[in-house]
Amino acid sequence: MVLYSFYIFDRHTECIYSRRWTPRPASSGKSARPASNSSNLSAADATHLPTRRALTHSDDEKLVFGLVFSLRNLVTKLGGDDDTFLSYRTGEYKLHYYETPTRMKFVMLTDTKVVNLRQHLHQIWAQLYVEYVVKNPLAPTEHPGGIGVANEMFEAGLETFITKVLPV
Amino acid sequence: MVVFALFVINKAGGLVYNREFHTGMTKLTSNDYLTLAGSFHGMHAITARLSPAPPVPNPLPASTAPSPFINRPTGLEVLESSHFRIQCFQTQTGTKFLLFTEPQQPNVDAMIKRIYELYADYVMKNPFYTVEMPIRCEKFDRGLDGFVKVRG
Repeated sequence: MVLYSFYIFDRHTECIYSRRWTPRPASSGKSARPASNSSNLSAADATHLPTRRALTHSDDEKLVFGLVFSLRNLVTKLGGDDDTFLSYRTGEYKLHYYETPTRMKFVMLTDTKVVNLRQHLHQIWAQLYVEYVVKNPLAPTEHPGGIGVANEMFEAGLETFITKVLPV
Repeated sequence: MVVFALFVINKAGGLVYNREFHTGMTKLTSNDYLTLAGSFHGMHAITARLSPAPPVPNPLPASTAPSPFINRPTGLEVLESSHFRIQCFQTQTGTKFLLFTEPQQPNVDAMIKRIYELYADYVMKNPFYTVEMPIRCEKFDRGLDGFVKVRG
C-alpha cells in the first residue's frame, strides 16, 4: 500500500502532528492547461504560471481539518448521533478517519485499494500516542503548535508501526 | 438490500432532486437538505484539491488537442460511515448524483449509471424541463420506483 500522509488534530482544531511521505505535486492546478503551441509544449509547460497558487503544507492541514469536520457533521446529521464517519475514497486517494472520545482526530491518506484503517488508527492512539505523549511527564497537557507530540519515542514507534503493522 | 435515498445536485451546488426510497436516515426539513447539498458540493471540491498523488502524465500524444476532462482529480466518490454509504457520481457537466445505501451494498456503480440513464432519458429529454432547476418529472419518478423496487 502507498501511504501519503498522516495528521493528528487536537480538540482545539489545531494540527498537532503531521507527516508526509510524498512531496506536494508542484504542478497542481496547471496539469490540464492547454499549451498554445504544441511544438514547444514542454517549454510552455515549464514557464506558464499555475492557475491557482499551489497549496502549502499548512493549507493542506487546514483543508483536511475543515473537511473531516464537515463530513463528520454531515454524517451525524443524516445517520443520527451514533453514526460515525469512517472513510472516503476519490479516484486518487482514500482518507481514513478515527476520532477518540476526547475529540482528537486521526487522519490518514493512502492509495485507494486499502481496506478501512480505523482499527490501526485506534492502535496508533492507544499504543503510541497515549503511551509516549500522554504518559510523558515532561509533555504539556495541551499541545499548542504540536509541542511535545513529535518526541523521539513517538516518532520511532510510528515508524515501526507503519513498517510492521500496517497491511502491505 | 436497501437503497435509502437519491439526491441530485446541480453544477452550482443546488439540490434539484431529493427522493427517499426507504426509511432509515434521519428525517430532515427541506431546508436542511438544501444546506447539506450545498456543503457537500463544497466538500467535493476540496477533496479534489487535496489529491496527494502526482498527476498522471497525459496519455495522448502532444499533437492532439488536450482534453479538459482527463487528468482532472475526481473528488469524493464513496463515503463510508457506520450506518450507510454514499456513492457520488459526477457527470462531465458537473451534475452530481448521490446515492445513499447500506454499507455492504454491492453493484452501486452499475445502479448509479442506470439512474443516470433514466435522468438522461426522462429529465434531459423532457421539453418542459429547464436545466439546473428542480426536477419534477413523473416518468423519472416512476422509472426510479420501478428500478429500485425491482432491484429490491
